[in-house]
Amino acid sequence: MHLLYPVVLSALLFCTGVYGVLARRNAVLVLMAVELMLNAVNLNLVAFDVWLRDTLHAGQALTLFTVTIAAAEIGLGLAIVLLLYRRRGTSSVDRLDELADRPDPPHPDQGAGPDPDADQDADPDARPAPDATSDDQPRKAAA
Amino acid sequence: MSATAVAAPAVHSLWTTAAAAPIHAPKIEYAQLSPILVVLGAAVAGILVEAFVPRRARYGTQLAVTLIGLAGAFAAVVGLAATGYATTKADLAAMGSIAVDGPSLFLQGTLILVTAVGVLAIAERGLEPQSREVPHVDAFAPQAAAVPGSEDEKAAARAGWSTTEVFPLTLFALSGMLVFPAAGDLLTLFIGLEILSLPLYLMCALARRRRLLSQESAVKYFLLGAFASAFFLFGTALLYGYAGTLDLGGIAKVVTGDAAPNAALNASAHGDALLLIGGAMIVMGLLFKVGAVPFHAWTPDVYQGAPTPITGFMAAATKVAAFGALLRLLYVALPEMRWDWRPVMWGVAILTMALGAIVAVTQTDVKRMLAYSSIAHAGFLLTGVIAGNKQGVSAVLFYLAAYSFVTLGAFAVVTLVRDAGGEATHLSRWDGLGRRSPLVAVTFALFLLAFAGIPLTSGFSGKFAVFSAAAKGGAVPLVVVGVLCSAVAAFFYVRVIVRMFFAEPRADGPSVAVPSALTGTAIAVGAAATLVLGVFPQWAFDLADKASVFIR
Amino acid sequence: MKHTLLAAGGHTGYYQAYSVLGLVAVLGVLFVAASFAANRLLRPDVPGAEKYTVYECGVDPVGEGWAHTQIRYYVYAFLYVIFAVDAIYLFPWATVFAAPGFGATTLVEMFVFIGFLAVGLLYAWRTGVLRWI
Repeated sequence: MHLLYPVVLSALLFCTGVYGVLARRNAVLVLMAVELMLNAVNLNLVAFDVWLRDTLHAGQALTLFTVTIAAAEIGLGLAIVLLLYRRRGTSSVDRLDELADRPDPPHPDQGAGPDPDADQDADPDARPAPDATSDDQPRKAAA
Repeated sequence: MSATAVAAPAVHSLWTTAAAAPIHAPKIEYAQLSPILVVLGAAVAGILVEAFVPRRARYGTQLAVTLIGLAGAFAAVVGLAATGYATTKADLAAMGSIAVDGPSLFLQGTLILVTAVGVLAIAERGLEPQSREVPHVDAFAPQAAAVPGSEDEKAAARAGWSTTEVFPLTLFALSGMLVFPAAGDLLTLFIGLEILSLPLYLMCALARRRRLLSQESAVKYFLLGAFASAFFLFGTALLYGYAGTLDLGGIAKVVTGDAAPNAALNASAHGDALLLIGGAMIVMGLLFKVGAVPFHAWTPDVYQGAPTPITGFMAAATKVAAFGALLRLLYVALPEMRWDWRPVMWGVAILTMALGAIVAVTQTDVKRMLAYSSIAHAGFLLTGVIAGNKQGVSAVLFYLAAYSFVTLGAFAVVTLVRDAGGEATHLSRWDGLGRRSPLVAVTFALFLLAFAGIPLTSGFSGKFAVFSAAAKGGAVPLVVVGVLCSAVAAFFYVRVIVRMFFAEPRADGPSVAVPSALTGTAIAVGAAATLVLGVFPQWAFDLADKASVFIR
Repeated sequence: MKHTLLAAGGHTGYYQAYSVLGLVAVLGVLFVAASFAANRLLRPDVPGAEKYTVYECGVDPVGEGWAHTQIRYYVYAFLYVIFAVDAIYLFPWATVFAAPGFGATTLVEMFVFIGFLAVGLLYAWRTGVLRWI
């Protein structure tokens, strides 16, 4: 088998991943697209490793590290997305628009809440999750 | 593995295998890796503290472990430099994975000092309003997993919990940053990149106030960062396919054609497409971390949303580490490709300086303004990278050391100006601060002047070094653009100073919290470094000059 | 440092390298454009509300497209994945540690590595995520 096949396949996979990151609106799907990109890299590395007959197997070693780090990355990413989902009831990346360049920021004068621990975001989109006391109950997604 | 297929490799195919050459046991020079190992050890100790020390005693123990670890690591760096590893004895440790040479040690020393100052600001617990039951409140969420505003969180806050995990996380990020500029091969470079990024993503989401903004910034940073590191990794794979090795020095040899001939390599490396695409993608990943222009979109959002002490640490340390890695990649692995990367870098540097300076003018939030200023500074640093000579390396090293302390100090001052809603970051709230608390305003003005590059501050020495190196390296038009952008940038720094000293203070304006010794020390160290490197820069120039030769 | 152009020699090699790049980019764009255009031309276009419902083996969908599972599964799955993935490093080590020249040092180093994993597990245990409530 020629080197070209796996390399082209991996390039296509990578491009699919890039398309996924750019086109998907759900943060979890974006994460999956990133994983696809990383796996395209793995395919590439293993193919080059075998093709070049690398006695030290640097390509395969890097593949192992990529797999590990991808696992760590996805775990961390899901944790961050979950944090956001619990507060907002959505994991759509389109609705992350609190931080942006605008002529005047939304809250120039932060409300003077008497409770120092209260959260200060006056966000119309944010809806606290229906049952905020226990985190692990299954609950409905925002419509 | 069958050795029989070796005899007939007439048709090279993926299915044939080579003879398994004996693999020799690796030799690890633990002494030369000691700065990294000490920091990692302290981080693991921090996790054990988190697991076994009672909650009440955690803060003190964590702070002690962190500072002792940083002191040990700094002592190790100084020890290595004193025994000549920065100059004559520089070599590649751990089978070529970690380069122990001048730039590595200089940047590692800088990073450890920067982190030590950053940790002081992170450890501050005297700025938030306190109560009798909860005497100490820091800048981080009492319980990161709880929904903001929920009963859970209120209970955690009443109990006086705090996320002391930030200390080990900071140390883990630092260990990645120590590896990043010292990486001798692409594998180590990638691991350094991820180890420095992953804790930072988490730390961005931990703000006590304005959790929603904080979490949003973490999601944005994470998604864009993961996207960028996937590009970086694909580039790594392509360069590996081109050169057949992950060693930076080995890649350089294949580029120049000095490498030993290899039949398989000749079959795949006849075109430069792999090299060009691979190199471009790796540089793209590094430019993302640096915050250079086509890849800068995350910078303002993340800097604004993250807890301010973390922003200061991240802004200072990430830039040092990422520029170190960029320098090493371009100067060790791809020096013969400079006719390809220099034109691209010219474009990136000009865009970065111009956009950073111009967009900063329109900002109304202090943290966002500092973020755009950091983009502009990335552009100034890139002119030093483009210089392509030894002087360019030493200028960038000096600039990084000078810039990081200014940044730390500036963000530490931002944590002090507060009203009932937390930090008052809107610029209009800073009106007349100079009349209300002259000391804080004067210190902030000093940092702004250093950002602007006014003489007698470290910013001037740094810019002078970088621009003169670039001019010597034949990039005079770039220097002209740089000076023009500095002038535009100076406009908005001065505008803030004018607001602080000459505008009428508002009746409901923010108050300036009196910092504890921790933040006080952080700001004092930042200001002292700014003045010392501005008035007496020569010793630091000499140090950077001695440390500016990469080992290959 | 020598100021040479690419090793391939002179301007032809230099521009040729980029022409390949450009050609690949143009081909890529053309491929995507052509396949989307062909799609648009060939497919029948009959929009309807039915088509926007979730496909569930031919029966009418129940509930929404996104199902929820308990968060606890995530924590366990994550811990499992981390340890399963880190176990990969044991395999290359297992193939060499008995070879001449490796020996005791290699063994100790692997136990240090496992020790680091154990620290992570200890932390997870002490923070209480291993308890199933």
